[in-house]
Amino acid sequence: MLDSKIPSGSIEQKWKNRKFESKLVNPSNRRKHTVIVVGTGLAGASAAATLGELGYKVKVFTFHESPRRAHSIAAQGGINAAKNYQNDGDSVYRLFYDTIKGGDFRAREANVYRLAELSVNIIDQCVAQGVPFAREYGGTLTNRSFGGTQVSRTFYAKGQTGQQLLLGAYSSLMRQSGEKSVEIFPRQEMVDVIVIGGKARGIVARNLVTGELQSHLADAVVLATGGYGNVFFLSTNAKQSNATAAWRAHKRGAYFANPCFTQIHPTCVPVSGDYQSKLTLMSESLRNDGRVWVPMKVGDKRAPNEIPESERDYFLERMYPSFGNLVPRDIASRAAKRMCDEGRGVGATGLSVYMDFRDAIQRLGNTVVSEKYGNLFQMYEKITDENPYKVPMRIFPAVHYTMGGLWVDYNLMSTIPGLFVAGEANFSDHGANRLGASALMQGLADGYFVVPYSIANYLGGEKLSAVKQEQDEVKSAIADSQERLNGFMKIKGSQSVDEIHRKLGKIMWEHCGMARNEKGLNDAIKLIQKLKDEFSNDIRIPGDTRLNSELEKANRVADFLELGELMCIDALNRKESCGGHFREEMQTPEGEALRDDQNFSYVAAWEHTGKTPTLHKEALTFENIHLAQRSYK
Amino acid sequence: MKLNLKIWRQKSPSEQGQFKDYVVNNANEDMSFLEMLDFLNMDLVRKGEEAVQFDHDCREGICGSCSLMINGSPHGPETGTATCQLHIRKFKDGDTIVIEPFRAKAFPVLRDLCVDRTAFDRIMAAGGFCSVNTGNAPEANSILIGKEVAENAMDSAACIGCGACVAACKNASAMLFVSAKVSQFALLPQGKPERSRRVRQMVAQMDKEMFGSCSNTGACEAACPKEISLENMARLNREMLRASVTE
Amino acid sequence: MMKCKSFLSSSVGQKFLVALTGLGLSGFVLTHMLGNLLLFVGPNAYNLYGHKLTSTPLIYVAEVVLVTLFVVHVGLTLKLQKANRASRPIAPSQLPNVCVKRASFASRTMALSGLMILSFAILHLVTFKFGPYYAVTVDGVEMRDLYKLVQESFQKEWYTGFYLVCMVILFTHLSHGFTAAFQSLGLSNTHNTWLKRIGFVFALVVAGGFFSQPLYMYLAHH
Repeated sequence: MLDSKIPSGSIEQKWKNRKFESKLVNPSNRRKHTVIVVGTGLAGASAAATLGELGYKVKVFTFHESPRRAHSIAAQGGINAAKNYQNDGDSVYRLFYDTIKGGDFRAREANVYRLAELSVNIIDQCVAQGVPFAREYGGTLTNRSFGGTQVSRTFYAKGQTGQQLLLGAYSSLMRQSGEKSVEIFPRQEMVDVIVIGGKARGIVARNLVTGELQSHLADAVVLATGGYGNVFFLSTNAKQSNATAAWRAHKRGAYFANPCFTQIHPTCVPVSGDYQSKLTLMSESLRNDGRVWVPMKVGDKRAPNEIPESERDYFLERMYPSFGNLVPRDIASRAAKRMCDEGRGVGATGLSVYMDFRDAIQRLGNTVVSEKYGNLFQMYEKITDENPYKVPMRIFPAVHYTMGGLWVDYNLMSTIPGLFVAGEANFSDHGANRLGASALMQGLADGYFVVPYSIANYLGGEKLSAVKQEQDEVKSAIADSQERLNGFMKIKGSQSVDEIHRKLGKIMWEHCGMARNEKGLNDAIKLIQKLKDEFSNDIRIPGDTRLNSELEKANRVADFLELGELMCIDALNRKESCGGHFREEMQTPEGEALRDDQNFSYVAAWEHTGKTPTLHKEALTFENIHLAQRSYK
Repeated sequence: MKLNLKIWRQKSPSEQGQFKDYVVNNANEDMSFLEMLDFLNMDLVRKGEEAVQFDHDCREGICGSCSLMINGSPHGPETGTATCQLHIRKFKDGDTIVIEPFRAKAFPVLRDLCVDRTAFDRIMAAGGFCSVNTGNAPEANSILIGKEVAENAMDSAACIGCGACVAACKNASAMLFVSAKVSQFALLPQGKPERSRRVRQMVAQMDKEMFGSCSNTGACEAACPKEISLENMARLNREMLRASVTE
Repeated sequence: MMKCKSFLSSSVGQKFLVALTGLGLSGFVLTHMLGNLLLFVGPNAYNLYGHKLTSTPLIYVAEVVLVTLFVVHVGLTLKLQKANRASRPIAPSQLPNVCVKRASFASRTMALSGLMILSFAILHLVTFKFGPYYAVTVDGVEMRDLYKLVQESFQKEWYTGFYLVCMVILFTHLSHGFTAAFQSLGLSNTHNTWLKRIGFVFALVVAGGFFSQPLYMYLAHH
């Protein structure tokens, strides 16, 4: 059994107790400690900036050319916080409750409560940094509502909330960079973690421009490297988002938790052709005013505006009257899939449903609708060449977020001491399904508030021996990575890495996507094993090791292949349906997810062994929230 | 669709580059411009030729990674559009398309179409922030900001830092980028305490990075994928003057 | 003082000076053009005006100011232009008529039009200020017969033609420069979009006025 190191006391007291019990590092001693932060998204940038402010020597790595390019920037809708500015009954406890319930009771209560508590500090911090959140005429902050809740607690900056929050964190990071407390290493990708004496003591980074490998030593390492949605090839993640840092850490001893928990977002622009490189999300905030529907009749090929009201099925409103179009993402996605499976999907492929703003435009007028969603409508029109003011948008679910990730305890430390994991890269807060506008909240809570305390607690309590570049562990880590990269270059097969990646994506989407079953998962594991062989025998990387996108992809896809297999193994193991993980064998008569709390109320943390991974369990106990079948009806 | 491409190939910052011709035969009009390049690269790789290197990431027009001068225009012919949001349907069958990197002394070419834009980061480090440590913040609603002010600040803050303004400018001036950040903070009460120091230091760093000066041609505004307004630059000039006469 | 110095050494500060001197020169060309409208009234009015202008000692102050404006405006521009060239070592290749996101012709050619105006101004001074001295007596006072000189100069087709072309160049320079100066001085904002149009109107009035004078002299006395 894994020890999650949850502090004692009532749920409200736990974080206070931990902060008080925490060991500290004297300000003058902090500069003697080097901390490496990998990734510069919300979690990484905020953690690095804060650690720099505190006086640690911080080294920040990003494979991007600038910290500001991290994928957090693409988050559109907003960030939740239990401020209760709208006086509509919100509280820390309600945000906690909504998140646990939204996650289908597969998250750790103590972590989620802390997240809800910290949410209010995040908004204060961001406003102080100059993040231009939307305001009321009187000058106070305004909110919108998001899926899975009945209060308005989402703060936003037009449709670019992620961008503004990231630029806020980035500006703090650049301030520290200017003050020389943080050193930034752009276009450098982490390819391994250096473990010495059982503790994380540094990383191997590859300079993408020169192709050189270099080791960087430290007293603690923070991974904030995001999720692994790109296993599916087609996802809403940025093209370069990858799991390599997390997967390398996993192979060095960090357990990987709940890898099968992936979120399929209901409102994305549908796939249009087989050349497609990625999918584009249409913010969940659109569901505040957009009504989702399909034709009543199977195979109705009429144009949407020719289908009369009486022949439209607003299926979310019909099936879930109390939450309507704002049901959580997993539920909305599955409902859309069911409509398409019934043959009522629309568009040329039959793989999409309408999201219609006709009523909102009639009620509010074009101007108000464009004020609220103008940039999203414009983005949709650019991609599809269709005007959503005139014809309903067509949407379909797409992989968007991964709730699974490296296992961490309450202090966000992985099973490798000294290796901390923050943001989407860890598994901790969202259970089996994440609520909208909670990813930004978690990234920033981890980075600004949790990691800095945890690092102090760790460094204050550990006696760390000195490490040198010449040590065997360091040299062999570099040699391993070099060999691996040389191996890719030597294959000289006939396929580009993307071709293998697309095949992996197809296997994963078909068998480990919105619906999973035992046979499919077993098939998928076999297919992936075959694909691995294909990869190691048939890929081709022309050119040299300097700035070579094909080599970068190969390095990442090799890890995606292994991770994809683990996802299927985890999905096979979890013989229940919960949140984004839907096992067809386990459903209610209405087709809703059916949990098995008796047998699966645990976190599945997988240990890498080289052969079949070993399962470790962390039992989930719910002391504050009563376990119940989720209902949004 | 058939497209004739003239693409800038350059092995390293120190080596000479030149245009090379490529033909893409089966481009689909619903493809994005970068998907067309993916398609070309897949073809090149299969033939054992080196893939064309270009920066890209989110492909939703927000991360600012993608660049490219397409037929002499930064981010291609469409206004208010980043390269990743440009679609092949905007071109005609048989078109010749010239693709080259953003050109500026401050943006050295790393390889092919990839340039180094870290000069922007250094400008940000010089003053593009509000100095507030984590944990230091007052209650969010204690700072009242009028709706219009917040919206104007948001319009300035929408900059994605792609560098199209620099590429478009005959002087390779970074004024639009710098002014957008200066404006955002000059408009907001949070930014006021250090507005003078900020504008002085950011402009000093901008000059140091070898960006040119502004000739008010407006090419930057025309090229900006986020349509950042020239008004920001007037505000920067104002802020700069203010900083030198007061305080 | 330090801050003022650092302001003036920054690119923004130098453009500020270029704008300020540019506006000063704009004021000069406007008054010069208005004064020259007396050509339409007749030789006496024009010569009296010239005489009054040159006989006050203030003219020396004005000349010094004017030369300073010219030197600062041209000198700083050349300095900035040199730095700008260095900022852009390779210009992107442009397919003809395909590049759509480009600035106006006037704004792109400011340095060139400026240099042409400078050369014109020198020639202009050589022709008129330092040109032949004809004497005339008006109301019993002897003075320079500038009217005659002007009339004589614009009898030559090539000279008149050259002059007219230069006024078109002056128009392009002013049409961008006048508005741009307000931008560089930080005076334009969303509430005064008329500033954008006023530059065009100003340039039209000044260049138009200057255009009409040699044309009139040529046509009236040919």
